[in-house]
Amino acid sequence: MISVTPTNTQAGSLDLANLSAADTALEIQNLNLHYGEAQALYDISMKIPKNRVTAFIGPSGCGKSTLLRCINRMNDLVEICKVSGEIRLHEQNIYAKNVDVAALRRQVGMVFQRPNPFPKSIYENVVYGMRLQGVNDRRRLDEVVERSLKGAALWDEVKDRLNESAFGLSGGQQQRLVIARAIAIEPEVLLLDEPTSALDPISTLTIEELITELKEQFTVVIVTHNMQQAARVSDQTAFMYMGKLIEYADTNTLFTTPQKKQTEDYITGRYG
Amino acid sequence: MDKVNMSRHISGKFNEELEAVRNQVLSMGGLVEQQLRDSLIAIEKSDHDMAQQILQRDYKINALEVQIDEACVQIIAKRQPAASDLRLIIAIFKTISDLERIGDEAERIARVALESFNNDQQQFLVSLENLGQQVLSMLHGVLDAFARMDLDSAYEVHQMDAQADRQYEALTRQLMTYMMEDPRGIPKVMNVLWSARSLERIGDRCQNIAEYIIFFVKGKDVRHVSPESMEQTVKGTR
Repeated sequence: MISVTPTNTQAGSLDLANLSAADTALEIQNLNLHYGEAQALYDISMKIPKNRVTAFIGPSGCGKSTLLRCINRMNDLVEICKVSGEIRLHEQNIYAKNVDVAALRRQVGMVFQRPNPFPKSIYENVVYGMRLQGVNDRRRLDEVVERSLKGAALWDEVKDRLNESAFGLSGGQQQRLVIARAIAIEPEVLLLDEPTSALDPISTLTIEELITELKEQFTVVIVTHNMQQAARVSDQTAFMYMGKLIEYADTNTLFTTPQKKQTEDYITGRYG
Repeated sequence: MDKVNMSRHISGKFNEELEAVRNQVLSMGGLVEQQLRDSLIAIEKSDHDMAQQILQRDYKINALEVQIDEACVQIIAKRQPAASDLRLIIAIFKTISDLERIGDEAERIARVALESFNNDQQQFLVSLENLGQQVLSMLHGVLDAFARMDLDSAYEVHQMDAQADRQYEALTRQLMTYMMEDPRGIPKVMNVLWSARSLERIGDRCQNIAEYIIFFVKGKDVRHVSPESMEQTVKGTR
C-alpha cells in the first residue's frame, strides 16, 4: 500500500486564521453594528486576504451587505447606525476619528446590484472619479479610459462609441461600465454587492469571468445570493447567519465539507 | 437523527429524488448480494440450475446501474448538490460501479459452478466456501453500513478484508501444491483459482464501498492512505 498523507487543502489555499500581515488586505476585528436598538452584526472578526476573491453568503437579512458596506463606511450615511470594533486597512483602523472617508472610498471602491451609470457619455462615466480629483489632462484620461474599459472587459464593445450615452448600453454592459468606473481610480479593494443579480445568465458569466481577472490587481469582496456563483468565483467564503459569522473557510472546503451544521443546511437548501 | 438527513430539504421534490436514487442503490445491493450468495451455493452443491439462473439475472444489475447513473446525472444537472448531498451523489456513483463489478464476479463464479468436479477436487470447493462466506459477510456488512451510512460498520468491513486476503493466499498455496502434484487436474484447479480470485476482488470492492461511506460521513478521502491515518479519520471528531 502506498502511504499518502490525506489532505483537504487545495493548492494555493490560505490559512485564514493565521494570515500574515503581507497577505492581509483587510482585518475586521470584533465588529458590532447596531441600527438603533437592533443589532445587525455581532462581533465579526476575520482577515480578508489580498488579491483574492472573498464571498459573503447567507440568507436575506443575515448582515452580509451590512458588513460589506462597513468596509467603505457606506453605513455612515445611515443616521441610526452605530459601529464598534475595527476594520484595518494597512494597519489603519478605518473607523478612527482622523480618517478621511472620501480618501477611504477611493481606496475601497464599490459596485451595486443595479448598474448605476451617470447620465453622461461612456467616456465621462469612466473618468468621473479622475475629474473629481482634478485630473483633466486629455491624454491621461484617454489612457485611463482604455485601461479601465479593457480591465472591465468592455473596451472592444464600446471603443467606437465612447461619446455616446451610457444609457444606450445593455444591463450587463452598464454593470461592466460601473466596474470600469470603479477601477479607473485604482482602488485596492473592490466591493461588489450582488453585482449580477439584475443580469441575465450570459452577462452574469461575463462578470464572473471578469471578477477572476480583477483579483490580479485588486482584492475583491463580493456579496451574492447565488451560492453557485460564490462557489465559482471566490477563493474563500464566509457564511453569515443572523448577524454572526458562522463559518469562514476556503471555498473548496466550505462547499464540499462545511464544518458547521448551519452552513451545511444553508448550502444544501435544508430547513435551518 | 437520520444520518443521511435527506428529508429536510426545502424542496420536497429534491428529497424525493434523493430518496428514490438511494432506494435504487439498496435494491441493486440486494440483488448483487443474492447473486453472490447463490453463486456460492451453486458452487458448493454443483447446482447447475441455480448457476444458470444467476447468469440470467445479471442483466438486472446492469440495468439498475444505468438507471441510477442517469438519476444521479439528472440530480447534478438540476439541483447542483453541495456538501453532504454532493458527497452522497459521488458516493453513489462510485458504489454502484463497484456493485456492478461484484455482480460480474458472481457471474464468473456461477460459470465455474457449471463445471463438474471429481471427489478429489471437491475439497477445494470447501476452502472456497470459507473464503466465500467471509466475503459474503463483508458485502452484507457494507450494504448495511451504506443503508444507515454508518461509519463504524463501514470501518469494520474495511478491516475484515485482511482476513479475506489471508484466506485467499492460503487457498492459492493449497491449489498450487495440488497442481504440482497432479498436473492433469490443472484446468479444473485453475477454475477454482479464478473463483478464489473473484472472491478476493469482491472483498476489495467491498472495501472500496466502505471507503465511499467514510468519505460521505467524514468528507475525507481515505483511499490509499496508511491504516493509521484512516483510523484517525474514522475515530477522530471532525
